[in-house]
Order: sequence, then C-alpha cells, then structure tokens
Amino acid sequence: MSYFGVDKVLKIFKIIRANGGIFKSYRKMYLYDELKIGKLIGEDKYGNKYYENNEYFYGRNRWIEYNPKHNLEYDGSMVPAEWFGWLHYKTDTPPTVKPPVQYKWLVDHTDNKTGTPDQYVPFTTTPQKIQSWVPPKAKKP
Amino acid sequence: MVLQYTNGLVRLCGRFGCSGINQSQILAKQNSLKALIPAQAVHTSGVVSSSPLNNLPVSSDKETSLSLVLYRNASSEVSKTFVPEKQKKYSPHQDTSNAGEYALARLDDLMNWGRKNSLWPLTFGLACCAVEMMHIAAPRYDMDRFGVVFRASPRQADCIIVAGTLTNKMAPALRKVFDQMPEPRWVISMGSCANGGGYYHYSYSVVRGCDRIIPVDIYVPGCPPTAEALLYGVLQLQKKIKRMKHLQMWYRK
Repeated sequence: MSYFGVDKVLKIFKIIRANGGIFKSYRKMYLYDELKIGKLIGEDKYGNKYYENNEYFYGRNRWIEYNPKHNLEYDGSMVPAEWFGWLHYKTDTPPTVKPPVQYKWLVDHTDNKTGTPDQYVPFTTTPQKIQSWVPPKAKKP
Repeated sequence: MVLQYTNGLVRLCGRFGCSGINQSQILAKQNSLKALIPAQAVHTSGVVSSSPLNNLPVSSDKETSLSLVLYRNASSEVSKTFVPEKQKKYSPHQDTSNAGEYALARLDDLMNWGRKNSLWPLTFGLACCAVEMMHIAAPRYDMDRFGVVFRASPRQADCIIVAGTLTNKMAPALRKVFDQMPEPRWVISMGSCANGGGYYHYSYSVVRGCDRIIPVDIYVPGCPPTAEALLYGVLQLQKKIKRMKHLQMWYRK
C-alpha cells in the first residue's frame, strides 16, 4: 500500500473528512490556502484555534485557525502574547498547560489597527519650526 | 429524571419559538412535577440534585411571567448561540447607494484583487536589509505564494522595496528608478535606515529617510527587519491595495 503511494491518496480523504466534508474543506482552502489535519491544542478568548501535528516538518507543524468572523481579514497580530511564544517555537509548552501570569494591570491584547478607523495617527505637540511653501498667486491683469 | 426531560422540552420549545404549547398546560405540568420531586428524591437524590432545575432561578410569581421559558432568565446565553457572529465581508466597499456605485465597487474589488495578488516588487537592495529581502523569496518564507515575484526591471514592477541605507549618492538613482515605474506603484520602506536614517541618521552622506525622496506606503521597522516582518509588511500593503477606490473616485469626479 505505502509502496505504491496509495496511502497518500487515502490520506487526502482522511483530511477532508476530518475537516468536515468537501464544502468545509473548500472553505478552509479558500481562507488559509492549506488543508491540514492536526490536534487541537487550545483556543484563546478571541476564538482563534491552535493546532499541532508533528508529522509536518518543523515550521509547518503548528498553526492557527483564526476566528471565522474575520473571514479573509485575519492578521498575524491577532495572536495574543501567551500563544505567540508557542506558535513561534519560543516555547514548547502551550498556555493551556502552563497558564500565563495574570496581573490586574495587564491590558487586553489588541491587533494591528493600521488601516482601520482606530489607527494611531501621530501628531506634534511642539510649535512648527518650518513652514510649508505657499505658491504665489498669479496677479490678474 | 422526568423533570429534567420536561424541563429540556420546555427549553427547546422556547428556543425554537414554539408557541403552540399552551402556557397553562406547562404550568400545570410543572406544578405536578414539583409535587413528584420529594418522592423521587428519596431514591435518586443524586440525580435530582445535579439536575439543572436546582441551579436555575425559578420565577416567584407565575401569574406575571408570560414567557414560555420559565426556568431561565430572559437574557441567557442559550439564545445567543443561535445568533451567528457576523462575518466580515470580503469587500471593504460596502457603502453603495445605487446600482451604478455598486457596479463600480465590484469592479474596484476585481481590480484590487488582481493587483494585490500579483504584486511585483523591484529588487532594490541597498544594504544588509537586502539579505532579509532575499530570505522572503527563499522557500521558508516563500513570498511566491502571495503572488509576490521579484522583477528586475522598474518598468514592469509595481512595488519597490527600499531595503537598506539610502545614501545621498544613491538618492537620485532611487528617484529615477521610481519615476520609471508605471502607475499604480507602491513603496515599502524596509528597515530603520530607510525609514528615518537609523544608525546613520547623523552621517554626512545619508538621506534621513527615503520618504524624503519618494512617497512611502508601508514602513517596516527593524534593524534589519526579519523576513517575517517584511512579509507582514507586504501583507499590509496587500490590505491597503484592497481598500483602493480607483474607479469609484473616477466616477465621483
């Protein structure tokens, strides 16, 4: 079976079945360009799900499936700090095993607001040292 | 156990908005069941104590409560699960008022889709940042999967990645190369040196930021930025392209 590579073909069906059928698999392909099978390691409070499958090689064996409400507008900055380390191989223990430290002054995680109405716009607090050039108006004859 | 099932039935009816069941019937049933509880509790006390009825708030006056769902609060989390979370639409252009605007918005979407998925950056490596720029072309980061392919000619590129220190000597060349690129064109400033001079900010021969020469769309911080950071910058640029309103602005004019 494995000699002729038939098991690879069978694996495709296994993966499609694990992802919940043809349409759901198609949607995952549409969203993430990948169709994988893996163990659900945990879910953060923003609804993102984290998976691991060590059959894939290092670098592809841990992945995230973002909250489906984002559709295609997901962004790498949506990963909160406690999962960032696990997802980027800084640590092998996910926060489900070892919960992160909690302080009451810790602010909630926010994703990158660039391009949204909430984006940060810098402003100056000092008087301007230079003036922009005002083009001279043509005199009317 | 019977109580549990009946309670579940009442809940289900409430969930699906089943108004066919008479209110008084249910009330009568619940009253009769409550009378049954002590008899059951003797034998299966464990089951009754673990039943959800004990934890749920029971309304005190049954005459005033008109709701079919008696045994839970009006705003409980059960009803919430049946409201699907609103998904973001693909297109950022949703505020169309008539058919013409709608058509133009969809055409814009199509054009932006084409542009953002075939972003060809010009190779403009000036310093060590260029090594990281090479990394995103390599298999590990693989920019090709986003349709980003390096193009060596400015006339066929639509994006320029200024990777590295921009010196005074290089500045006219950068401007010339930028002017040769066809519209629409985008600029990614990569690294501290290109963003604002960086380490060489006080040098006599360095331009303090490439935005003094050309308009920059995306600034990628870092010294040098990792390939991952640059890839994130490219993705941000793709999002920016997605928001463009070329045809809609033409129509407004």
